Amino acid sequence: MGEEYIVEMRHITKRFPGIVANDDVTIQIRKGEIYALLGENGAGKSTLMSMLFGMYEPDEGEILIRGEKVKIESPNHATRLNIGMVHQHFKLVSNYTVAENIVMGMEPVKKVLGCIPVVDIKKANSDIRALSEKYGLAVNPTDVIENINVSTQQRVEILKMLYREAEILIFDEPTAVLTPQEIDFLLEIIKGLREKGKTIILITHKLEEIKRIADRCAILNRGKLIDVLDVAETSTRVMANLMVGREVSFETEKKPADFGKVVLDVSNLNVFNKQEFQVVKNVSFQVHEGEILAIAGVAGNGQVEIADAIAGLMPVRSGKIVLNGEDITGASIRERTLKGISYIPEDRQNYGVVMDFTLSENLALKNYFKEPFCRKGMLDNRAFEENSRRLIEKYDIRSGQGSGTVVRSMSGGNQQKAIVGREIELASPLMIFVQPTRGLDIGAIENIHRQMIAERDRGRAILLISLELDEIMNCADTIAVIYNGELQKIASAGSLTTNQVGEFMMGVRQKETEKSTAGKSEAGKEAAGKSATGKGTAGKSEAGKEAAGRSVTGKGTAGKSETGKEAAGKKVTGKGAEEKGGGEE
Amino acid sequence: MKNKNKIWNAVKIPLLAILCSLVAAGVIIALTGSNPFRAYYALLQGSGLAPKAAYANYKSMLTDLFSYVNYFTPMIFAALAVAVALRAGLFNIGVSGQMLAAGFTATVLVGYSGLGAVAAKPLVILIGMVVGGLAGALVGFLKYRFNINEVVSTIMLNYIFQYVISFLINTYFVDPVSRQSVEVSAASRLTLMDTQAGNLKIDIPLGILVALAAVVLVWILFDKTKLGYELKAVGFSRSAARYAGIRVGRCMVLSMTISGMLAGLAGVTYYLGYMGSIQPKVLLNTGFDAIAVSLLGSNNPFGIIFSTMLISLISKGSTYMRSTAGVDTEIASVITGIILLFSACSAYIRHRLERRRSEKAQTAKEDR
Amino acid sequence: MNGILIDGLSFALPLFIMAIGGIYCEKSGVTMLAVEGLQGFGAFVGAFAAVLAAGGFSGSSQVPFYIAILCAAVGGGLFALLHALLCLRFQANQVISGVVVNIMAMALTAYLTKLLNRLLFGATSDKFVLTVSYRFTVPGLSRIPLLGAVFTNVYPFEVIIVAVAFVAWFVMYKTRFGMHLRACGDNPHAVDAAGRQVNRIRLAAIVICGALSGLGGICFAYSISANFSASIYVGYGYLAIAALIFGNWRILPTLGACLLFGFARSGGYKLVQVLQMPSSYQDLVMILPYVLTLLLLVFFSKQNGSPRALGEIYDKGAR
Repeated sequence: MGEEYIVEMRHITKRFPGIVANDDVTIQIRKGEIYALLGENGAGKSTLMSMLFGMYEPDEGEILIRGEKVKIESPNHATRLNIGMVHQHFKLVSNYTVAENIVMGMEPVKKVLGCIPVVDIKKANSDIRALSEKYGLAVNPTDVIENINVSTQQRVEILKMLYREAEILIFDEPTAVLTPQEIDFLLEIIKGLREKGKTIILITHKLEEIKRIADRCAILNRGKLIDVLDVAETSTRVMANLMVGREVSFETEKKPADFGKVVLDVSNLNVFNKQEFQVVKNVSFQVHEGEILAIAGVAGNGQVEIADAIAGLMPVRSGKIVLNGEDITGASIRERTLKGISYIPEDRQNYGVVMDFTLSENLALKNYFKEPFCRKGMLDNRAFEENSRRLIEKYDIRSGQGSGTVVRSMSGGNQQKAIVGREIELASPLMIFVQPTRGLDIGAIENIHRQMIAERDRGRAILLISLELDEIMNCADTIAVIYNGELQKIASAGSLTTNQVGEFMMGVRQKETEKSTAGKSEAGKEAAGKSATGKGTAGKSEAGKEAAGRSVTGKGTAGKSETGKEAAGKKVTGKGAEEKGGGEE
Repeated sequence: MKNKNKIWNAVKIPLLAILCSLVAAGVIIALTGSNPFRAYYALLQGSGLAPKAAYANYKSMLTDLFSYVNYFTPMIFAALAVAVALRAGLFNIGVSGQMLAAGFTATVLVGYSGLGAVAAKPLVILIGMVVGGLAGALVGFLKYRFNINEVVSTIMLNYIFQYVISFLINTYFVDPVSRQSVEVSAASRLTLMDTQAGNLKIDIPLGILVALAAVVLVWILFDKTKLGYELKAVGFSRSAARYAGIRVGRCMVLSMTISGMLAGLAGVTYYLGYMGSIQPKVLLNTGFDAIAVSLLGSNNPFGIIFSTMLISLISKGSTYMRSTAGVDTEIASVITGIILLFSACSAYIRHRLERRRSEKAQTAKEDR
Repeated sequence: MNGILIDGLSFALPLFIMAIGGIYCEKSGVTMLAVEGLQGFGAFVGAFAAVLAAGGFSGSSQVPFYIAILCAAVGGGLFALLHALLCLRFQANQVISGVVVNIMAMALTAYLTKLLNRLLFGATSDKFVLTVSYRFTVPGLSRIPLLGAVFTNVYPFEVIIVAVAFVAWFVMYKTRFGMHLRACGDNPHAVDAAGRQVNRIRLAAIVICGALSGLGGICFAYSISANFSASIYVGYGYLAIAALIFGNWRILPTLGACLLFGFARSGGYKLVQVLQMPSSYQDLVMILPYVLTLLLLVFFSKQNGSPRALGEIYDKGAR
């Protein structure tokens, strides 16, 4: 029996303080298949693979490689067993060349003067060139890492495994940082690797990817193995329900919008980043009272910079930002807060909270300088305490020691609750939410959506920036789509289908020229054909089967939007969601 | 009860560091053939904290005690200077240079002026604060405006101050006999030297009052004021502070200015209090030791009083230790060094202890 | 003119070798402010060895000098273990650790110099007296106009330093070890993923830094002061750090910075002599390197090439 499988993990249990990350999990992987591990954030996928890669040791259970029982002690050991892993965060030396990065640790050596060993960089370059041609992974060995884009960096990581003669390749959420075109390309590469006899383990929470390339799929939920399915014979809806552990509901209660006067008026906004690269190009839009305007787009297309520019964190090159009739283009961050902007930033640990402050100090981060917290430059501790007690209660912020807890020791979800609570309490006319649900579990996501919609109903203007298309389709009244720093389209949510939004997000709707467009629009068409859906404001739509899966894709945000599964937009969906941290375990 | 626990938690690791160091140094002393207990007792005697066997005319334990206080006053300021910068996330390695700049300016402007005591003493303090503050502000400005690492700029400035002032002293203000700068007038001196009190002659350091006030003010600054909240926020996370609307650049310049002002006070209490003159070409170790003193005091203003007293006790008492216990004075800096060594590790030890405690709590929970 | 070149070179080269030590350490990702302490402790060990050995050789023998050089490097390397212990094992703040190592070095050398003098030689002295190193002139080459000065009145240690510096450059840029070391300063996780132990590489870098600093220290002791005492700590360690920042953490530009500092110093001294100014004007000359470094930073701080992971504690567990 045993020889049939190249990897067997039997009855694996792994505990961390406070949680059981894996509970009696058994998986068996055949040589030459693409085996997907599906589960939500925190389901235990990454922990399981970390044990296979020698980063942790299981508390219970055993691992067999090619039928032989092994105790994998380190990543080095795993490498010797021909196991390779592409981590979510690339491990590359930024000022080294592609070839140097790949060969590091196993450099070809030549002798100078017959005895002094030096790194043979010429041989490294030619080896890497040959290797990249063999597997169809185009890289230039002499390029420096910091000058190449993310998807090329990922190819370097794959080549690193192949250079070490890995037979079992683990990919940890490989599409999280890629654009839709790059995802297509990567999936092709992975298929190609299977054809060359490699065994591939794919960690993901995106059903669509699994459907496209995986042979079998193991579903994990809260550390337990739920089922192992044959992908070809299973609908994404079934997978989705198994992954979430309950029937996925798609509805967020929402009254029709009732717009009031214009609160935020952005006109001809141009923003350049530190590298003097134009990231926002001539963007104009308005947000009204009682409106949720969502900006959809693939990560890195300028949407976060728009939010930063409005909040004052990034300088505006030209254009105008008007808040409630007042020009705030040149105002300081503090002035903008006082004039009525709440801002939930994308990067909560570096911006949203001071990690080493206590909870009560953090909950007053935006108004510590005002009464009752501060009088004549002196702080009143009781006011901090009182404010914090109230918000903890109201927003269900859980922490070890209440107000006095150092925020660093709190979970990401509770940190986010604290930020959302604090910003909502400012009662600002304009609220900017950037990726408000990133890395949170389903319950917390629903909760934040409810609060956001409640604020809308209270007449606030809300600017929502999200990489989760589902979130946008679910919450927005108006959708603006950004591509390459330019707004491609602004329309009421009801008038756009997910597919259309997806196409705008990739810039295909606009220009039909470049060659890259070809593959993409094809994907788009395919999608349209299959899905037939489009989700209206009303909410769900038929689409039934595949649709459900999709929405879960973006970690169960679900929403009324169903849409077709392969839709271009969908790919974008979960993407970026877990870039940097926050994510699993 | 809870408060007591908190204080104990803050204090126990520095105490452990001190204990380990005393044991380690005791072993060294014993190995060189002296009695460590006698040596340590001699340190106390030399600092006026324990009676000596005999006293010369006009001297008593009180004389020694006052001279000890006079000796450690500058260190309190210096350690506070380090702590203020550190709370805002900056390393002020330039305390020695700022001390020198402030001390020299006050010496030239007031020490040689012939002003009366009532005008001169406050003026010395004021000049110390202004010059030190400016020197600190320059570092903060370089950091904010040009992104120059403050560790680098303070080291560079240390040498620039040292050599320029050495040049000025040697060229214009040198005392040909002592080869130091000409001694400052008694009126400008912040320590009342050899003051007759009863049948004793003691040095009364006025600076200690200012130092204690500074301790309280720094404590209020960080625990009770808006500015302190902002400085701490900047120290912990510049990006989050900016997001909160705090002007980060201003905070960095301000914290370096305050730090420099405290360093300036250290300078005037040293050069116009304890010493009375400046030795050219010499940069004091005070500024560097202060980093360690502040560390040992957990960057807490009250903790700093105790760590200053301890470190100063060792160096101050070392002369007497040599004469009675026959131990080289240089051992004092070795003991200090070992204490610093242990306290540099304290963050790690604390971290380990905490982790072990939380793991224990965890297993206890699971067992139940 | 020749004098400026000769003196400048004999000052710049020990500085340069110490700066290379600093580059090794910082390129591996560990902040190094302890060059001064390592230099001093290395010089102390070397000088002590020379004094011990001197008895066994005739007065003009150069053997004690070479023994001193070897021992200084070993002593500096051993003392650097303290920095390694604090930074790597106890994960102390690397700036604080550097300061503590400096304080410790100064305290220990002052104490030990006195103690050893008393115990071994029955003398109450706080210094070890060394001879001034002999110098040689390369016949022929020294006649080349201008450049000839480089081969005139050369201290033997200058040759040693040039050789060691070349080896250091070679190891840093051509060997596997050097490649891993530089990678540690940019992304230690990548090194770990490549199957190399980050802390072991950093340990090696710190020890190398100590050895090179000790070498530089004993050279100063033999050329400038002709003895060892605790007063040898006169800021050359920090000057070396200034040089490596000036040189943007690269070896060749750092050599340029050291030469600039060296010639500025010797040229300034010469100027003071020629213009018959009082010797105190030399102090003004001394500030030149520091002012230059500050100015340079003001104008070029944007293209600061410090290693990306410099000062970060590497914790294997953190993902």
